[in-house]
Amino acid sequence: MIFTTPLGLLALLAIPTIVAIHLFRRRFPVRPVAGLFLWGVVRQTPEGGGRITKLPVTRSLILECLAALALALILAGARLSPAGVSQHLVVLLDDSASMAAAAAPGDSARDRAVRRVLAELDRLSAGARITLIRSGDRPAILAGPASYIVEARPALDAWKPEAPHHSMAMGLRLARELAGRTGTLVVMSDMAAEPRGEPHFEGGVWMALGDRVDNVGITAAQRTTAPEDNRSVVSLTLASNMTAATSRHLSVRAGDAEVLARQLSVPPGASSLTLPIPAGLPAVRVALSDDGLRRDDDVMLAEPRARIVAIDNQLREGRGRDAVMRALDAVSGVTRAASGHLTFVDAEALDQPSTTDVWRVGFGRPSPTWLAPGEPKDFVGPFVLEKRHPLLLGMTLGGVVWAGASPIAPDVVRPIVSTGDQVLAGMATGPAFAGRTAILLNVDLDRTNLIRSPDWPILISNLVEMRRQQLAGPERWNYRSGEWVRVRLDRDQKAQLRFRCGGVERTLPAGRLIEFIAPSPGGLLQILDGDEVLFEIGVNFLDEMETALGDRSTGDSGKVGEVAGLRGETSAAFDPLFWILLAVGATAMLLNWCLLMPGRSARASVSQTV
Amino acid sequence: MPTLSIDWPAVHAAASVRLAMPRTPLRGRAGERLGAGTGASLEFQDYRTYTPGDDLRHVDWAAYARTALLSVRLYREEVAPRVDLALDVSRSMAVTEAKQRAFSELSALLACACASTVADSCVITSPGAAPEPLPNPEHIERFLTCGVNQSAFEIGPLPFRRRSVRIVISDFLFPHDADALISRLARESAWLAIVQLTLAEEAEPVVEGGRRLIDVEGRGELDLVIDDAAVRDYRARFTRLRLELSRAARRVGAPFAHLVVGTPLRDMARALAAAGVVEPA
Repeated sequence: MIFTTPLGLLALLAIPTIVAIHLFRRRFPVRPVAGLFLWGVVRQTPEGGGRITKLPVTRSLILECLAALALALILAGARLSPAGVSQHLVVLLDDSASMAAAAAPGDSARDRAVRRVLAELDRLSAGARITLIRSGDRPAILAGPASYIVEARPALDAWKPEAPHHSMAMGLRLARELAGRTGTLVVMSDMAAEPRGEPHFEGGVWMALGDRVDNVGITAAQRTTAPEDNRSVVSLTLASNMTAATSRHLSVRAGDAEVLARQLSVPPGASSLTLPIPAGLPAVRVALSDDGLRRDDDVMLAEPRARIVAIDNQLREGRGRDAVMRALDAVSGVTRAASGHLTFVDAEALDQPSTTDVWRVGFGRPSPTWLAPGEPKDFVGPFVLEKRHPLLLGMTLGGVVWAGASPIAPDVVRPIVSTGDQVLAGMATGPAFAGRTAILLNVDLDRTNLIRSPDWPILISNLVEMRRQQLAGPERWNYRSGEWVRVRLDRDQKAQLRFRCGGVERTLPAGRLIEFIAPSPGGLLQILDGDEVLFEIGVNFLDEMETALGDRSTGDSGKVGEVAGLRGETSAAFDPLFWILLAVGATAMLLNWCLLMPGRSARASVSQTV
Repeated sequence: MPTLSIDWPAVHAAASVRLAMPRTPLRGRAGERLGAGTGASLEFQDYRTYTPGDDLRHVDWAAYARTALLSVRLYREEVAPRVDLALDVSRSMAVTEAKQRAFSELSALLACACASTVADSCVITSPGAAPEPLPNPEHIERFLTCGVNQSAFEIGPLPFRRRSVRIVISDFLFPHDADALISRLARESAWLAIVQLTLAEEAEPVVEGGRRLIDVEGRGELDLVIDDAAVRDYRARFTRLRLELSRAARRVGAPFAHLVVGTPLRDMARALAAAGVVEPA
């Protein structure tokens, strides 16, 4: 007999307690009387406490002790030894998509893994437990922890590996935690431990069930649009692990309509492909003919919608204004507008009120309220740049003479370019600019050589792209599964925001900036405000590591250590000792209750006396 | 509940008594006691005018000589009185063997008194059963099984016969209103006698220490330390109960006797005679 919760044996203290109660209980000699009512209201005067007398071994004492013993053993989890311990198998299943690659139907690594697990289950005893874990950056428990075999079989049948390439480390950590010292750890993958990123795998068995499968897959895809030419281009990168060129059928479909069909000859290794398609089409599905891994044979590509930045150049006529106009000519996705998203002004005008949608960039000497005492100076460096600021990406200011920089009062701007204690460029701060963006470039464009340096078009381009990032719409229009999707809205939502992608549908938090992870398995993702579709973007598999099926391997490594097995705390219903103890305890309590029923004890005493 | 055999020789030796009948006229079958109506006894009752058919032996010729009117002498009738012997056969009458023996012998003594009285005697033990005839004193043994949980006098009206002589034997150790109880027992009776039989320790308990008191009629149990205070309180209650019974009996003209178990039977007979329940035969 074993005890699953030995602390429950403390309940055995109830037995000496019961004996003590019986030992010290005050027991008066019984005297039958004819008129108890004549004694009834007499006050009782105890003669002190109970006295220790010989313990009367009564039926009540025996029954109470028996009930306490039975209940204490139940609390202590008394079990018959063989049924108390069950084997516990913890299986970590590699959920990467390559597990589904098969040279022939029913012969994928996933199918072999399922067969191996089922064989293990058949080998185990009926009371064995199993925990199924699906690997991934966020590993998930498919069955368990420590579920019965009948519960694990449906979860195993429903398992479909389709995740991108990922580390097994998180899954292994979870599996080891669940296995502890009582479970046997088994990992099922299509690669050996070392190439899968676990060169020092120990404490279990790593079953590599992969096999080389010929595969051609799409590892990168892009869709670009040139509205002026009314054409769109799909660019694909294909990867083939075959040793010779192979033929594949490629089709491009927009909805039910086939836009393009082509027979390709795919060379070994990586190759690129560009497919022109008409502009203005909705999301298109580009598919290769089936092969070993279907997961990488198609992509869904949404047509990018350009976010045009409207520019308003209000600089006074001169060298600086012309330089800005020339730089803008080299930037795509901009347009001139009277009231634009981005306005270039003389720095004196930065004080004037503006709307929150308009970013203003001021050049030259700012208004006197911004200035500190002193005269403007020219600087040749060294310049201190805030490298992480998107405005300065790619800029060095090498050989630049920063001319006409006026002293700036403290706490007026947040510096992003400075030299010594002199602020050369910065973002306007203060209550007047709360919710608005104003950028000060403290430079005299008529005298500086900045406008002739390579940094000038970069600066203007960075300004435009910064503003573009703040316009409504997705950051990009096509993503890989697992990437962060960022979408900016230009208005507050009317209803609950959510996205729908294939069979996946989730609600999104309220806000102007929405961020979420592109779901797997991907497809066309719609962002909805209630029932209104706001945006449609493409989410695709695109995993070079999973497409390369040439390095899959077969073989077991590692060994199973000595494990204690899982204590069967939850198997009380299957343990005959539990039911025996329950019956004994309940019977003893029932008999004792019958024995001590009011009236019965009195009648018994009287009949014995009379 | 077993019955105890009665020492009949001792009972007969002590039973030189008969019921002390009332002076009021009785009803009953023809017997030795004067009845309420006219009859054939030797005791003159009244005169009335002669009517044809009257027994000429009862014509008062002397009166006819003086008044020239025919008148007839009327004599009292002689009857055998109806006696109802009501017994309390609840468990309390057998709380100890001594009490049960005393109850049996007292009942036998009174049965003998009934026989000496030449009465039409019946025994009543429960409200639901008809009075049982008592043809001879030894027949009383059939009724002395004390096994019921409640005294017959607690429950309700007993099937007494009308204008009967009633002798009630009980310990009266049950909650009751003495006036109401005695009035109920005396209703439409010719005469009533109350006999209370208790143990000595029921009448006058002594200090015993801790006891578990269990009511033999199932009225509960009580762990109690019987000390001076408890005894004093108990005695006061018992005395009040006995005095109320006595007072209620006196109100209806019934003799009341309190007998204590352990008293010799002959002394019990004397006590009953002293109380006016019986008289020397």
